[in-house]
Amino acid sequence: MRPARLWRLARGNLARELGALLVSAGGVALGIGCLVFFLAMGRGVRKVVGDVFPVSTREVEVVVPQVGIGSFLGEMKLDEALVARLRALPGVAAAYPRLALRIPAVTRYNGLFFGRELHMGLELVGSGVPADLVAGDARMPFADEGEGKPIPIVLNRRFLEIYNKVFAPQRGLPTLTDTMLVGFQFPVELGRSYVAGKTLPQAYETALVLVGFSDRAPLAGISLPLEAVRRINARFGQDTGSYTSVLLRAQDSQKVSSVAAAVKKMGLELDESERNRALQIGAAVELVTVALSLLATLITALAAVNIAQAFYAEVRERTREIGVMRAVGATRGDVASLLLVEAAATGIAGGLLGVLLAFTGGWAVDALARTALPDFPFKPQSFFVFRGVHVLLGIGVAILAALSGAFFPARAAARLDPARALTAE
Amino acid sequence: MNGNVIELRGLQKSYPPREPGGARTELFRALDLEVGRGEFVAVEGQSGTGKSSLLHILGGLDREYAGEVKILGRDLRGLDDPELSALRHAQIGFVFQSFNLLSSLSALENVLLPDFFGDGVPDAHARASEALATVGLSDKASARPTALSGGERQRVAIARALVAKPPLLLADEPTGNLDARTGQGIIDLFQRLHREGMTLLVVTHEKRMSRAASRVLVLERGELAADPTLEGSA
Repeated sequence: MRPARLWRLARGNLARELGALLVSAGGVALGIGCLVFFLAMGRGVRKVVGDVFPVSTREVEVVVPQVGIGSFLGEMKLDEALVARLRALPGVAAAYPRLALRIPAVTRYNGLFFGRELHMGLELVGSGVPADLVAGDARMPFADEGEGKPIPIVLNRRFLEIYNKVFAPQRGLPTLTDTMLVGFQFPVELGRSYVAGKTLPQAYETALVLVGFSDRAPLAGISLPLEAVRRINARFGQDTGSYTSVLLRAQDSQKVSSVAAAVKKMGLELDESERNRALQIGAAVELVTVALSLLATLITALAAVNIAQAFYAEVRERTREIGVMRAVGATRGDVASLLLVEAAATGIAGGLLGVLLAFTGGWAVDALARTALPDFPFKPQSFFVFRGVHVLLGIGVAILAALSGAFFPARAAARLDPARALTAE
Repeated sequence: MNGNVIELRGLQKSYPPREPGGARTELFRALDLEVGRGEFVAVEGQSGTGKSSLLHILGGLDREYAGEVKILGRDLRGLDDPELSALRHAQIGFVFQSFNLLSSLSALENVLLPDFFGDGVPDAHARASEALATVGLSDKASARPTALSGGERQRVAIARALVAKPPLLLADEPTGNLDARTGQGIIDLFQRLHREGMTLLVVTHEKRMSRAASRVLVLERGELAADPTLEGSA
């Protein structure tokens, strides 16, 4: 039977059985709606996790072991030679050493802060990073210009989100954007600690200027040019020959595991605390998404069983009609194809309806979240990320479920004895 | 191939016993029949003698039999499902007592039903309109079966059987559900088809139908015999 004729005949049957088929399509729509909804929600929540814990799939943080064989054989240092060895490891594209500011530092701000009076004293934690690590994110030069000049700093993007969502509302401070803050200058007193209540003899005041926000900057602290930190540490007589950590960027994500193994073989460790946290949360989200998707698949499977029952009933009702079709030249294949096309159409209708349900559900949840949930850091505009693949998957699974449900009824219809079918009551 | 449209040689059919240990019910013992091209054969018989079963076997709808059945020179036993379907599609028209129209389709679409299958029907729409005109229902083309009278439904069913212009028409009690006047219209139509050269085998209880046939056979106790009370008028 030619496809156009098959569809014409199926269309007539679909119109006649509209009520029953709508019920079948509704069952499929429910399952597919849940499936697409949960998949989009899983992707949306993973995106939020990615925003809160941005983890590069190509990078690892190398640190010296706290306690290890190296401690007994002589303290291991992340010096230039070791950084060079790390840089030379197979699969490593770049190595970015980090150097902690090894002296206390505080900032005290008294004055107008974007139109509001601000009086604040803060203990600062800082680390030096190579300019090329954050250069892409800095809006102003990120280079140490020497003593007496403001030191450029970069903050983690999440810092601004936490300020805007938690710190500022509680204190009646203005909400800020990164554009507003770039170029903001504030004083810093190096060599002084409010917490420890001490001031080093060489303590002095200078200024910091914010030049940008970057995901690569540590959340707790400020990132300064490596040369600036080295200069300050030297001024205070601190160690300048070793780094605190080294960020290794692999040539591609596939090579991260071999790079990590090579690093451990060198007796070094990987600081994977944040990465592990992100991976654990990501895995938990993944697990919940899979569980909910399985539940949705189960609903779809039940819809397929419902379709099977509906089509068995339809075959029983249409037995004589099937006999007539066989009498005028329909083959067994034609009869089976006719029912399967009707099932596929039911599946497509159910799939489209399900996708529409999922989109509507997502929109409703987002609308509710916008009004009912308080503003919190990293609160997304939407908890859902709908992709074209979700729509295709939803419709594909719906068609598959409908065809699976109709398979045995279609086979039974094709196997009907035409003579008996014609005399069926 | 000789001039016979239908050839039966030693056709036997029986049904399994209804109760365990019972005997099989013999429907046909060893039927022989030859129907030549252009014949109009009426088959009479009491209810339950197997008239409809005979039609189903001749149409390749029932394959549970012994013996030889040839339609237009082709042994049905040697045909697979697609070949049998193609034979029914192009060579055999069926008319049933209970019309068997598809309620979801209009009269014209019902007539066009064979066009949905196989290679379709050449000039299907023109032929369907022509077939409806032949049965006098041109003005009912778009009507649904539920909006038609019994006679009109049967005429639509006949138009459906004619649309592929098959050389053989098999009809099972075509006037069985119709009043006398409407039934006579169907008989007249069959006579006209016969005059135009079509081969017809009609199972009937209707004496008027039998009188219109060129040959009348009686199916009784599993055997076919010429009706001693009637001689075909055509």
